[in-house]
Amino acid sequence: MLTIKVLGSGCPSCKKVEAVTRRAIAGLGLEAEIIKVTDYAQITQYPILSTPALVIEEKVVCSGRLPSQAEITTWLTDALQTA
Amino acid sequence: MDILTFVSQLLRSGLGNLGAYLAAHVLLCLVPAFYIAGAMTALIPKETVTRFLGRNTPKFISYPAAALAGSVLAVCSCTIVPLFAGIYKKGAGLGPAITFLFFAPAGNLLALAYTGVVIGPDLAAARLFLSLAFGVGIGLIMALIFRRADAAHDQTTDAMFAGRGAMSRPALAFLLVLIALLIAGTLKVDLLTNAYAQLTLPIAGVDRFQEFLFNLAPFDASQGEEGITAQGALLIGLLALIGLTAWRGMENVLEGTNRWTLAALTLTGLTLLVAALGVTPQADGVILAVTGRFFAVALGLLALVAIARQIEPYACQEWLWESWRFVKQIFPLLVAGVFVVGVLRALIRPEWIEALAGTNSILGNLAGVLFGVFMYFPTLVEVPIANMFLGLGMHRGPLLAYLMADPELSLQSILIIATIIGRVKAWVYVGWVAVFSALAGLLYGAWVDGASAWLLGGYIAAVLGALALALYWFNRRNTRDLAARSAIIH
Repeated sequence: MLTIKVLGSGCPSCKKVEAVTRRAIAGLGLEAEIIKVTDYAQITQYPILSTPALVIEEKVVCSGRLPSQAEITTWLTDALQTA
Repeated sequence: MDILTFVSQLLRSGLGNLGAYLAAHVLLCLVPAFYIAGAMTALIPKETVTRFLGRNTPKFISYPAAALAGSVLAVCSCTIVPLFAGIYKKGAGLGPAITFLFFAPAGNLLALAYTGVVIGPDLAAARLFLSLAFGVGIGLIMALIFRRADAAHDQTTDAMFAGRGAMSRPALAFLLVLIALLIAGTLKVDLLTNAYAQLTLPIAGVDRFQEFLFNLAPFDASQGEEGITAQGALLIGLLALIGLTAWRGMENVLEGTNRWTLAALTLTGLTLLVAALGVTPQADGVILAVTGRFFAVALGLLALVAIARQIEPYACQEWLWESWRFVKQIFPLLVAGVFVVGVLRALIRPEWIEALAGTNSILGNLAGVLFGVFMYFPTLVEVPIANMFLGLGMHRGPLLAYLMADPELSLQSILIIATIIGRVKAWVYVGWVAVFSALAGLLYGAWVDGASAWLLGGYIAAVLGALALALYWFNRRNTRDLAARSAIIH
């Protein structure tokens, strides 16, 4: 099972990223756990300069923008292959 | 009975204020400004600026780059905090991080455009220039005070800042045309305000409608207030329609555009065009003046449509989403804030404000700063509040002091900053912001009262130069110390 984290203080874009990620997961028929990280102390532990950010298996795949569902699907399949 | 009239008077004052702020010139500024803010967030890759904020960038580049990042990248607070933490912990260090933090709310395009249109371009320019100079100044001072801690903080690689990005050419053109549209909509020059053609629409009764509106929401022209005109009422109606269509068309625009998206965009264009017209209702009909502004706005809109076709569709969808997100986040609070300001205005006696901050005194500027620190208003609401104070007789100097201190400091932001850089540094920063905001007010107030701009600019440049030199000198001594110490160890 993949662990996916959405980093962001709860702004509308972070919710968007979460929604798109859920759709990508459903599209692939995956089982995954989505954790929302809203605490700045934890967010700044990751090497990112802006939120929303998406972390798959503790690896930052994207930050500061809204990825499309196709992009997220690619990252998810990559993560599955390396896992 | 008395209380009833009093309350209705308050409500009418609030409504009047709301109407005035939704009038033509404000729409011509705010509507494009929201779209520009969205475009900056969606179309400018953050790497174009952040690569100048790494640890190994020379200081004379990282300070200006930090300011640029503040105005271009940090239109919303979801960017400010992580970027601040990143620059401080892994990047160029405390100084540039502070410059970024200070300049972000002041160099924010929405705030600047709004200040310029509501209060005046001179105050907007002063806000921009002084917060740029003092942002760098406070950054330098903080780097000086905490130079030991700053030199010691972790020496990780700056891979975070290594990314490179470039804006595509159509995206850049798009952003520039949007900015041109904002300028064409707000600039007060003859070329744009002159009427080049005149039409009379045979619609009777519009003058009576306008009369009715003026009665509904009374205004005092001597205090710089404007009533709701018939044109304003039409624009408010259009705005409501945009809101409705955008709700259906923009909320899920990332998944794909639909008919509502197109409708919202068409209505936005129409609103800008109507706002650019000169409308004078008379007894026998409505006189429409086709101004230079109308042509400029029409040209800008056509150019936008042409360029948008060359941009990747997903980038356009991102742009629309980001713009809508800003509207959702800021506009409702702004409308509520403007209404409340209108109510308050009827309650505050001009004599109080005049006694406290009617002149450009140190006390007046400090009062402006204190009010800014202890009050917290949603984004942009500080502008109508400042305009209210101006109408009540506040001097422009203390007004600027307030405008600089208010968005910079609130209890909430101080607490977040403290978790990142520590309590001592955070409170030292707050102290300096208070001092510099008051100073900015004093300087600008002196200029308003007739002091030479060159002389004041010279003072600022001299102080900044001295600070930079001191920092340079200490840094050299530090490196020499470090080198000497490691030589002893070896």
